[in-house]
Amino acid sequence: MKVNFWGQEFEANMIVGCIGGFFIAIMSSMFGFGGGPFMVPLMTVGLGLPMYIVVGSSLLAIFFSTTMSSIRHFQFGNFDLILFLCMFPAALLGGYIGPQIAKRVSPIIVKRVACVGLVLLGLNLLGVY
Amino acid sequence: MKEKLKLLRMLFVLMVCLLLSSVAFAQDQAAPSLQIDKTLLKNGGVIKVTGKVPAGQQVYLEVWAADKGVRASMFDSKKDPKTGVVPYVFYQTYDMPAYYKIFVPVDKADKIAELKKAGKKWSYSEAIKELGAEAAYNVPAKMKTDRYKATLMASVIGSRGKLLEPMDDKENKKRSMQLVKARFREIDKVLGAEVTVSPDGAFSADIKIREGLAPGKYNIVAVTDNKVKSAPAVFENSISFPMLYLKTAGTSQNILWPFLICLVISIFGVLMGAGGGFILNPILVSLFPLPHTVVAGTVTPTVLFSQGSGIYNYSKIKFINWKLGIAIGCSMLLGAFIGPKLTELITLDQFKFAFGWILLVLAGLMYWQTTAGYLAKNKKEQAILKEFKKRAEEAAKAKQ
Repeated sequence: MKVNFWGQEFEANMIVGCIGGFFIAIMSSMFGFGGGPFMVPLMTVGLGLPMYIVVGSSLLAIFFSTTMSSIRHFQFGNFDLILFLCMFPAALLGGYIGPQIAKRVSPIIVKRVACVGLVLLGLNLLGVY
Repeated sequence: MKEKLKLLRMLFVLMVCLLLSSVAFAQDQAAPSLQIDKTLLKNGGVIKVTGKVPAGQQVYLEVWAADKGVRASMFDSKKDPKTGVVPYVFYQTYDMPAYYKIFVPVDKADKIAELKKAGKKWSYSEAIKELGAEAAYNVPAKMKTDRYKATLMASVIGSRGKLLEPMDDKENKKRSMQLVKARFREIDKVLGAEVTVSPDGAFSADIKIREGLAPGKYNIVAVTDNKVKSAPAVFENSISFPMLYLKTAGTSQNILWPFLICLVISIFGVLMGAGGGFILNPILVSLFPLPHTVVAGTVTPTVLFSQGSGIYNYSKIKFINWKLGIAIGCSMLLGAFIGPKLTELITLDQFKFAFGWILLVLAGLMYWQTTAGYLAKNKKEQAILKEFKKRAEEAAKAKQ
């Protein structure tokens, strides 16, 4: 599929994109997260698209899957209103405060810290410690 | 005549004997008496239960939340040892008491300790048998339980499968025990050795109700090993803000904690460029007694709105390729239709295991994004991005 972005044309392999997106959507809806960190590498490495197209467009793709996943979880009775109501304002507030801090810290350091945190959390879930 | 009188006398003696024995039998069958020292708890506490049973009998206390039921489900995918067939049947009930525990005599404490050695593979039905508590297991046995035959095809189209005919009482009881285990998971939550019985039949027990349990009415019934039940004693557990009852989870939760955790994680999520769901989910299931289905089902709509605002911001500066996003989005719609179904089919431990690996992969991806080669490429693209942003701003200005 040809993708046109600000006057530049890119060729994207939609078969890889759709199959990859399908499996990422199963996984992310099953475990209840967005899936952005998996979609971005899929679209940059798998489809060979530059980062500046991917950031916005992957978010749009994920929005589809998250909407559907929310509806399905609601159908299966997995949605708890009170828990949602106490987390939702926090998520909004975080989305407001986050970008303000982001200007002042180096993204590389944040990512390295996140990396260590994720390994620790992952090993904890696997029951290593 | 004399003969007749003798016969009558014998008959009389026999009758008296019968009467006496039936009185004795009735005494044996006498319902246990039961008193509790208070009827109101504030978010947990200790209730002293006292009562009397016929001498020499064992007493079990069945305690359950009478007016708060929750959903419990279990997926049976274990191979049947006799036939070698994997059943793939999904069991679900909406009537599981939010709290359910059987208190057994104190002298069985070591048996409970022994059962705990089995780790996560303990069996509730065996534990009940082992402790002789079958007579006390009554409430969950009567839960209305649906079962579905899950097939690969049904899972793919996101359905629970075909609803099978209702089970008979015996089967219902057997499955209900598995559901109790699936719901409460730990032995300590469903079994406790607290009842002291003295030789004359007087018994007492300190029943500890944890913090964070469902509010509302709780029933206590004493059952002897002769299967005779006492009248239920009722007490009430009350909670007040910031504790709130989570209906689908069946527990009460101090809601300030999820608020704070969500706040910190969503800020951090913005910084590292990943939605908060990755960290929020595992932390919520590890810290709080929430079922993984509820956590996944509630976090998803939470991240939905931050994505929505992100899309809005990008679309303002025309940084979304709609064609590309919608094309991949459609295939993701299909995937997301199937995923939530699968959440129910796995246990919490499987959920944690899979999530653990996902996080390790994610950590790898994060690390890759800080390597020199990636950064150099990123720098070039950032420069282009800035150029585009500038143009977009100019275009916006020109419009005004």
